[in-house]
Amino acid sequence: MMGNCCSDVDGGMTAVGGTAPSTSAANQNDAADWYFKSRGMQGLFSQIELSFSATNLRDRDVFSKSDPMVVVYIQERDGAFTEVFRTEVVLNSLNPTWITKYTITYQFEIVQILLFRVFDVDTQFHNVAVKMLKLEEQQYLGEASCALSEIVSKPNRSLTLDLVQREESVPSIHSQHRGKLTVHAEECFSSKTTAEMTLKCLNLESKDLFSKTDPFLVISKVVENGISIPVCKTEVLKNDLNPTWKSVFLNIEQIGSKDIPLVIECFDFNSNGKHELIGKVHKSLADLEKLHSAREGENLFLPTLVGHDNQHKVLKSKLFVEKYSETVQYTFLDYLAGGFELNFMVAVDFTASNGNPRLPDSLHYIDPSGRLNAYQKAIYEVGEVLQFYDADKRFPAWGFGARPIDGPVSHCFNLNGSSNYCEVEGIRGIMMAYTSALFNVSLAGPTLFGHVINRAAMIASQSLAHDAKKYFVLLIITDGVITDLQETKDALVKASDLPLSILIVGVGGADFKEMEILDADKGERLESSTGRVASRDIVQFVPFRDVQNGRTCVVQSLLAELPTQFLTYMRSRDIKPNS
Amino acid sequence: METESRTLEITILSAEDLRIGNKPVKKNAFVIVSIDSFNNKATKIDRYGGSYPSWNDKLVMDMPMQTSFITLQVKYCKGSSGGEKPVGFARIPVTDFIGGYSPETCLQYLSYRLRDPKGLKNGIINICLRLKEALHGCSSQAAAASASGIGLGIPIDGRRDLGVVTGIPIWSGYPSNSLSR
Repeated sequence: MMGNCCSDVDGGMTAVGGTAPSTSAANQNDAADWYFKSRGMQGLFSQIELSFSATNLRDRDVFSKSDPMVVVYIQERDGAFTEVFRTEVVLNSLNPTWITKYTITYQFEIVQILLFRVFDVDTQFHNVAVKMLKLEEQQYLGEASCALSEIVSKPNRSLTLDLVQREESVPSIHSQHRGKLTVHAEECFSSKTTAEMTLKCLNLESKDLFSKTDPFLVISKVVENGISIPVCKTEVLKNDLNPTWKSVFLNIEQIGSKDIPLVIECFDFNSNGKHELIGKVHKSLADLEKLHSAREGENLFLPTLVGHDNQHKVLKSKLFVEKYSETVQYTFLDYLAGGFELNFMVAVDFTASNGNPRLPDSLHYIDPSGRLNAYQKAIYEVGEVLQFYDADKRFPAWGFGARPIDGPVSHCFNLNGSSNYCEVEGIRGIMMAYTSALFNVSLAGPTLFGHVINRAAMIASQSLAHDAKKYFVLLIITDGVITDLQETKDALVKASDLPLSILIVGVGGADFKEMEILDADKGERLESSTGRVASRDIVQFVPFRDVQNGRTCVVQSLLAELPTQFLTYMRSRDIKPNS
Repeated sequence: METESRTLEITILSAEDLRIGNKPVKKNAFVIVSIDSFNNKATKIDRYGGSYPSWNDKLVMDMPMQTSFITLQVKYCKGSSGGEKPVGFARIPVTDFIGGYSPETCLQYLSYRLRDPKGLKNGIINICLRLKEALHGCSSQAAAASASGIGLGIPIDGRRDLGVVTGIPIWSGYPSNSLSR
């Protein structure tokens, strides 16, 4: 479920734990979290606690009320549900509130489907431990299901669901009332003071003359018994003996306090996983703050095995704290609770290079067996995650590069065929509009993004003028390389200051090398023809390739960056969740 | 009633990859913001930033209605002798932040390519700015046009965009293949 089909080396080289400021892990899961993250599982990891209550449960017992218990299941990749949690049994109540809470890791980029079943526990089992109960021996009262993102995107983080019988998918007029279940979500960390630090080292000693030093830092906290638990690591810098890493963000509550001792170790990255320790320091956050204000460095040391006491070999390399600041950082979930939304928009490439949609080798071929083509898959994979964060579920949808009936080529036409409005209802609406547009337009060309980007930017701009709490995500799906690179760059630079992120997915077998220029992660900052430079990197590009096991993880890695882009935008403008 | 000038709050954030004679600038960079020849303000000097200086210096200036450009000049101080040398400059057309996507009173983050006195690329400068006063609802294009000081252009293609072109002077005796780095 964690989608770790990303390459290990790349994952191992990215910064972990200390980057997205809202990354928080419950204390007992620190090491496990780091383990997963160091293997390339990016994304927003927040620990959420779910608590449950119910009303109007069915009364199955003859002489008293039901004794209900909730069992929670998670849907796995293959669609099957696995049990993960049971609450305690509440005696004699049809409107119970359970105390035990279920802790789940919230991952923005995947749809986490949960199933809740309520059982009435028979009297004879009342002294049996909850986990020993056999469910088939209990009375089934009903069930409900939802996605985790549906719960967290509600303003009060509570979702009330009707309980239904197992065989029904939705309650019908014939179903007897089985009551309602309310699920409430809380983030595990309530306090959010974060320390931001920029660390650098001078004069690192290289281990040998022939190999290059690729340094990175691991920051761990020391708990009782001297055990150190890794908290975060920086990115790996290539071949640098005087490295300055990107800022790390440490949640002070996650560490404990500013006085808890930390160990900062500098390693030389090795792609076989056996990183060599270059040196380390022992400092608390308070010490690091002092180092920063005094503008002093601290010498690294290497523990040596020789000698009776803990002899250290002091090195000439020094660690400096270039920047140190503390802020209260709101998390992505805080903004959702404050009414912020992510609005999804989609633009589909209808250029002739896709091939004739009526032929099976076309990228736009609609398979009568129901198998989705690459465009449909991309729309679905991104849309199904983002739809929960959009309150009205009306999505602007456009096509580009085609000739609507008897018209000139349009580089931004409404997918729904309307000349007045561009929105469709739900992901289903996008799919239907796409299919009908396919047979109502003539595929043409060339491939231009500029018009679609400008249209999306106008929508974002109007929302900004009305002070709406919206952040926009435009998905562009294309099969080819764009013809108007400079015009696209101009449009992107102009839009770079808006609450907008653009995801470009490349389908088919074209060489997308040029497209990577648009993604500043892989290249330089975009520059317009008037000398203006993009103030933010708002574009991410990924080629869409099917993975053997049938589930792509490329789209997930695109989506994983979104909460960070959203947070960076909000924080840099000092926009708070409750403004 | 339109006032004669508006208040511009401009914060010079930082600059990247500044060079002088192909070597990175070592220290003491600063920026002068000019609205016209008499209306300038300078940031503090960044002693330690080197070729990636950061100032985070907020300057408040009066911007008359007719202004078309704001010029940023990055310079550095050569040691204690007090000499200043130019590193690069950027011209910001006012239309980039007035009449663009973001409302004028909204804090806008902009970045620009710096060019040195010879016209070669020399780093990037990052700023944020906002106008203190909103332009009171002029719905007429004429009023809006005169307020931004740009002549009323005839839109091509139905586009509202009164784009401004920034020209880069070509100096004579100047090798043609070194315009871009």
